[in-house]
Amino acid sequence: MRLKPASLQTRAAPVLTPGFCRTSGRPLRLRFLWLAFVTATGCLPAFAPAIAGSFAFVTNQNSSDLSVLDLEQRLELRRIPVPGKPAGVAVAPGLGAFYTVSPDSKTVRAFSLITCEEIASVKLPGGPTGIAVDPVSKRVFVSDWYNARIFVLHGSDLKWVSDLPAGSAPAGLVVSADGSWLASADRDADQISIFDLDSMTLKARIDVGVRPFGLNLDPEGRLHVANVGTDTVTVVDPITAEVLGTVSVGARPYGVAFAGGKGFTTDQYADTVSIYSLETLESLGKIDVGEYPEGIGTAINGELLVSTNWFSNTVSLIDPHEQVVLGEIETGDGPRAFGHFILETPTGERPCAPD
Amino acid sequence: MLRRLLPVPALFLALGMFAVPLLTPESADAHGPTRQKITLTAEVAAAPEEVWAAIGNFQDMSWHPAVHETTGDGGNEIDATRVLTLGEAGGPTISEVLYKYNSDKMTYSYRITDVKVEVLPVTNYSSHLTVKPGKNGGSLVEWRGAFYRGYPNNDPPENLNDEAAIAAVSAVYKAGLDALEARFSAN
Repeated sequence: MRLKPASLQTRAAPVLTPGFCRTSGRPLRLRFLWLAFVTATGCLPAFAPAIAGSFAFVTNQNSSDLSVLDLEQRLELRRIPVPGKPAGVAVAPGLGAFYTVSPDSKTVRAFSLITCEEIASVKLPGGPTGIAVDPVSKRVFVSDWYNARIFVLHGSDLKWVSDLPAGSAPAGLVVSADGSWLASADRDADQISIFDLDSMTLKARIDVGVRPFGLNLDPEGRLHVANVGTDTVTVVDPITAEVLGTVSVGARPYGVAFAGGKGFTTDQYADTVSIYSLETLESLGKIDVGEYPEGIGTAINGELLVSTNWFSNTVSLIDPHEQVVLGEIETGDGPRAFGHFILETPTGERPCAPD
Repeated sequence: MLRRLLPVPALFLALGMFAVPLLTPESADAHGPTRQKITLTAEVAAAPEEVWAAIGNFQDMSWHPAVHETTGDGGNEIDATRVLTLGEAGGPTISEVLYKYNSDKMTYSYRITDVKVEVLPVTNYSSHLTVKPGKNGGSLVEWRGAFYRGYPNNDPPENLNDEAAIAAVSAVYKAGLDALEARFSAN
């Protein structure tokens, strides 16, 4: 199903109207009481706005689908078919959409966050892999693993409009919060590329460790690049293009996320999440998770870390402060979640047209 | 689906019949877009301790019918290495490194560090071998693998695609598990 861009625009603010099962008008402060109410009655109370929602959109590569997880209630809301072995994902609340990349069928898809129905798709040449969204210009960037470039697509209809020149085997992508620049981890070039998104030109190339794959932006705006080949994270100032430091982490680091002044990597071969200080860039230990941890993201306003376990078919829910695993949620087969896969809804709306 | 396998007895050696396409020179760690995984299990009619005694030594893969000889260094310590010679003296080899070993949990994990795609059409291969309690005092042997196809570039030829990789690794595991079943059922 395709919707016109205008139609997407009019639906860009997903709102679940609360109030159809009124009780008291007084806000409940305790989250567990609210959850108990929602669970017991199956409906959102009228006073829901104080309670945020947190959801994960996890691409299951081996079963070719996507799990939508409610991270507060710790359950799978929906399983959405996504053909072609999807791995890359980008949740973009500003565009009212989430995006997936299926490298086997070379297809990028856009789905409505409200209905979780497909609204656009495009088949691309080469090897589409990583994906990131510029919330300001509403453009979508997709790395081409086999052709050292980045596809530039319209966020609404996924029309392919231009390319940016990356280094060899670009994988992870991230866009700055203000939409001014884009970074790509160029795996086989052992570097990252930074592009100015106003002029759409290459701004800098920075040597990092061996085989950088995933990357992310910390709360201070620094880039953290996980180097699969050297078991390190390189920390880069994206404005001055300086390397600020290097951190040793577990074997085959894949994804990076941040919470409570710390950085966390998923270590594919060690079945751990490594922890390091964002202040000193020193290692702070490890947490055992499931097998082949891959995507990692921060949810519930920094109170929860979510990492996917590719071999175990679960996500691990981690308390970043106590550094313990709180629980797991089952997913489809081969969860990857390569990209920004967390949706936070400050006023508690739920995706996928809940009942 | 895992039972949809290559003719088993020929095993690794049959894989030598794969024609090798011209590979573009690339980093040895290049790989295809989608990592594959398989899990095969077998019920074995012997106590877990007995089965682990037969297969739990990383330096001795003689329980697998395709392995002619195991040589290596480092025993069962992390980073121990072994070279498997397949079929006969002078046959094709697979080099592997141990990265997890837990005799209490009866499990070890290893990676292939060097193998030709004509021998096994995979790259970036890692594997876990585990013995768990089974039915009636027996054992459940679980063999799991994670790997990419043999062809690292786009649009692979049929003999080096995802399906070929899954079929080849499945055949290896099945042959080993079948041999264990047969060995202990004879007791």
